[in-house]
Amino acid sequence: MSTYQEFIQQNEDRDGVRFSWNLWPSSRLEATRLVVPVSCLFTPLKERPDLPPVQYEPVLCSRANCKAVLNPLCQVDFRAKIWACNFCFQRNPFPPSYAGISEANQPAELMPQFSTIEYIVQRGTPAPLIFLYVVDTCLEEEDLQALKESLQMSLSLLPPNALVGLITFGRMVQVHELSCEGIAKSYVFRGTKDLSAKQIQEMLGLSKPMASGQQGRPVAPQDASAFCRFLQPVHRVDMNLTDLLGELQRDPWPVPQGKRPLRSTGVALSVAVGLLEGTFPNTGARVMLFIGGPPTQGPGMVVGDELKTPIRSWHDIQKDNARHLKKATKYYEALANRSAVNGHSIDIYACALDQTGLLEMKCLSNLTGGHIVMGDSFNTSLFKQTFQRVFSKDYNGDFRMAFGGVLEVKEMGVGGTSQWKVCSLNPSTTLGLYFEVVNQHNAPVPQGGRGAVQFVTQYQHSNTQRRIRVTTIARNWADAQSQIQHIESSFDQEAAAVLMARLGVFRAESEEGPDVLRWLDRQLIRLCQKFGQFNKDDPTSFKLSESLSLYPQFMFHMRRSPFLQVFNNSPDESSYYRHHFVRQDLTQSLIMIQPILYSYSFYGPPEPVLLDSSSILPDRILLMDTFFQLVIFHGETIAQWRKAGYQEMAEYENFKQLLQAPLDDAQEILQTRFPMPRYVDTEHGGSQARFLLSKVNPSQTHNNLYAWGQETGAPILTDDVSLQVFMDHLKKLAVSSSA
Amino acid sequence: GQEKDKYIAPSAERGWNDPPQFSYNLQNARGQQKGHLTRRAAPPTSSGNTSTTTVNLKSVAAPPTIPLGSNPLAPPPCSLAPPPRLQAGPPTTTTPPVQPGSQEEEGGGDQTQCEPDVEVVLSSLNRALATCRQSVKDQVCNDVEKRLLLLDDSWRAGKLSLPVRRRMEALSLELRAGHWDSANEIHRSLMVDHVTEVSQWMVGVKRLIAETRNLNPELLEQLQDTSVTDQDSDLLQG
Repeated sequence: MSTYQEFIQQNEDRDGVRFSWNLWPSSRLEATRLVVPVSCLFTPLKERPDLPPVQYEPVLCSRANCKAVLNPLCQVDFRAKIWACNFCFQRNPFPPSYAGISEANQPAELMPQFSTIEYIVQRGTPAPLIFLYVVDTCLEEEDLQALKESLQMSLSLLPPNALVGLITFGRMVQVHELSCEGIAKSYVFRGTKDLSAKQIQEMLGLSKPMASGQQGRPVAPQDASAFCRFLQPVHRVDMNLTDLLGELQRDPWPVPQGKRPLRSTGVALSVAVGLLEGTFPNTGARVMLFIGGPPTQGPGMVVGDELKTPIRSWHDIQKDNARHLKKATKYYEALANRSAVNGHSIDIYACALDQTGLLEMKCLSNLTGGHIVMGDSFNTSLFKQTFQRVFSKDYNGDFRMAFGGVLEVKEMGVGGTSQWKVCSLNPSTTLGLYFEVVNQHNAPVPQGGRGAVQFVTQYQHSNTQRRIRVTTIARNWADAQSQIQHIESSFDQEAAAVLMARLGVFRAESEEGPDVLRWLDRQLIRLCQKFGQFNKDDPTSFKLSESLSLYPQFMFHMRRSPFLQVFNNSPDESSYYRHHFVRQDLTQSLIMIQPILYSYSFYGPPEPVLLDSSSILPDRILLMDTFFQLVIFHGETIAQWRKAGYQEMAEYENFKQLLQAPLDDAQEILQTRFPMPRYVDTEHGGSQARFLLSKVNPSQTHNNLYAWGQETGAPILTDDVSLQVFMDHLKKLAVSSSA
Repeated sequence: GQEKDKYIAPSAERGWNDPPQFSYNLQNARGQQKGHLTRRAAPPTSSGNTSTTTVNLKSVAAPPTIPLGSNPLAPPPCSLAPPPRLQAGPPTTTTPPVQPGSQEEEGGGDQTQCEPDVEVVLSSLNRALATCRQSVKDQVCNDVEKRLLLLDDSWRAGKLSLPVRRRMEALSLELRAGHWDSANEIHRSLMVDHVTEVSQWMVGVKRLIAETRNLNPELLEQLQDTSVTDQDSDLLQG
């Protein structure tokens, strides 16, 4: 068990990969019997300060439908200068530049420690990064001022050669011509009428695109700015653009009493996407949308302008009472797909007290790898600092953002490869990949005894270089009949929990809520039936081995999480939480499923405690991290001491330190996390204590302990009970001979 | 020298649950993350134990000096038993405390620094601008000049806070010394930490740095020579 833990950690550190099973069942039938599919979390651009990129092209297998990259799993004949592809067994000669290699003098890509390796490749002129700001002007004065300042600030954070553009909108949509002299001109579009890409390009007077289709041959910076007046290099237009931003006014169209402002988000985005499509297809670009309310007119409207008609809630959606939902979603999906095809990503920065339409618009970011940031107002440190972090730099002084990602996954025995486009990536972007074992039952274990998978990620680095990162991993096949215990000990319960949770979220977005819980429960019960050690019909005998012991707890918390329990949140909030859940790395995802709770006291160093109401004690301070919130909760006695002012007295210096300790620990998280979490400092009896209480306590209203499914008769685990009761119920169902 | 501000004093009321604001320098000084808030408590043992024991508390080394679960009808706080004293209680292994929300060194700090001189700062910047005029487009230089005037006006009208004045002084020194990247860092830190105060004119300073560093070597030398001859100023304490 401990050796697998080390193995798992080493592999994650080196390759950014966490598999649900680290021994693979050798047939499809056995794989399905394992309940949790063979799957992995993969972080393509995991930060590897210790991995210097190599400055040559990768060597590829010559077979046309293979083209795997040379890797440490390949057999090499150093004398004959030939290598055998481990995926298709083709024998390939080394290129002439490899003439000097030998056993003692191997190229990096053959060495096991370079199972992950990065190549810098030359592919034409480096293309500049492009940032297109799309700004809602229907904001309160104070909010608009704060947003303007953040945008001005961001100009100082952009690289000087980056191209920048500005579109503002309210009732109308304005595309601003950026120049370094003369009068500022802009092109105005009606917010009610959608236009095709071609019409937009014609109206903006754009000539044919200079960047061509397939290879994405990028344009040299000086040519680019010569021909596109709307996207100019920062170093040339920063002064004028700063002034332009400073002079932006609220949308002048008056908003009558009882009405919402007319906000033409749909057309604004259409113009943005069309502008980039027409000028820089296949180049890394970011559309950054800043909104202070929902779209209320034109294509993509989410709610009308009458305030008495509220924006749709989950109840409305359930009752099929959300009249704009389908149409708006379809509209934004079309825009998102066009954007993705061109390698352009779309960020949404939504700051408002009410919903802004994230439910309908989330595809814009989800399909393009863009960010979604949600806040109450642009005039908050949460927005300002989160926005600053978009431009944060790594240990080399480069932006932590990458563009135009294409991920190819190659597996043994499968012809061709699977390919996905990820237009925008950062070092924590993590994908969940689910595999299907195709071997027939009872077929012999494949030659070599090991299965291999290769991940090839091509992308544009923020320093404009084109790079290819190759990760090649292998795991042993095992016969599930005779080696089930080995397979069991190779289970990575943390990865499995996140991978199953992601499947749950995927189902939830396409199905009814209760069915997903039922599905999740059924998988958990099956897993316990398969791997639990017990005597039939004797729940007290039930035991799980160490490699599975935390898994039920993860599932318990997942069932109660905002990712699956939507009725406590607005549709926008649910969309926001889910957006972050399905792209974060394993550690952060686990925090989201099962928040971390640490206890601070006089009795010893800070320590993790159960996410349970029994952990709330009068003389403890609790720090809870849910990823989206950091909550510091002072127990009753601590709160009284604090109120009495003991921390100010010299002889109670240790109390002062105790109060400070969770703040210090929270600081590290606050300083680095994207997006920045909300920060709650509360105490026993405080109104904001509910953030903690709702996570640790089951609801008091639910009374029946054993609920059996009505229609199908399938047993389900109940909602809203304590972990103890949940576990008892689970054991009962797992050991039951009638289940 | 450059101030390493920990927190920026909140100027306005923070929004609901708004996190604290960190300065540019603090955010960038990430370093090695300890990441120590990642452990979880072990669940109750799965041997059918139905008691709700908390498995997480270590056995208490020293007895607490206040009664746990005190009587809600107990007398008000003035007769509350105090927390363990510094000597008596076991030491807590906490990291050295950082003061949250500490005000910036408004006249405090451990060095006595004199008030930055607006004349000196502006003359450095204007000297650089004058040199730029020899090769950079008029339009650009005029735009920069406009903004330097704004800076001058704001400073003299007392509209700039001390941290901003101090950092502008530092920036002008870095510019003079030809430390372009340093100067840029300072400009960025000012834009991030004090955007409201500086946004109107800072982009002009930013452009000035960019244009000055691109001057051809002879012009640069010229600029640095004139800087050297004026070096009897009192500002090189940094």
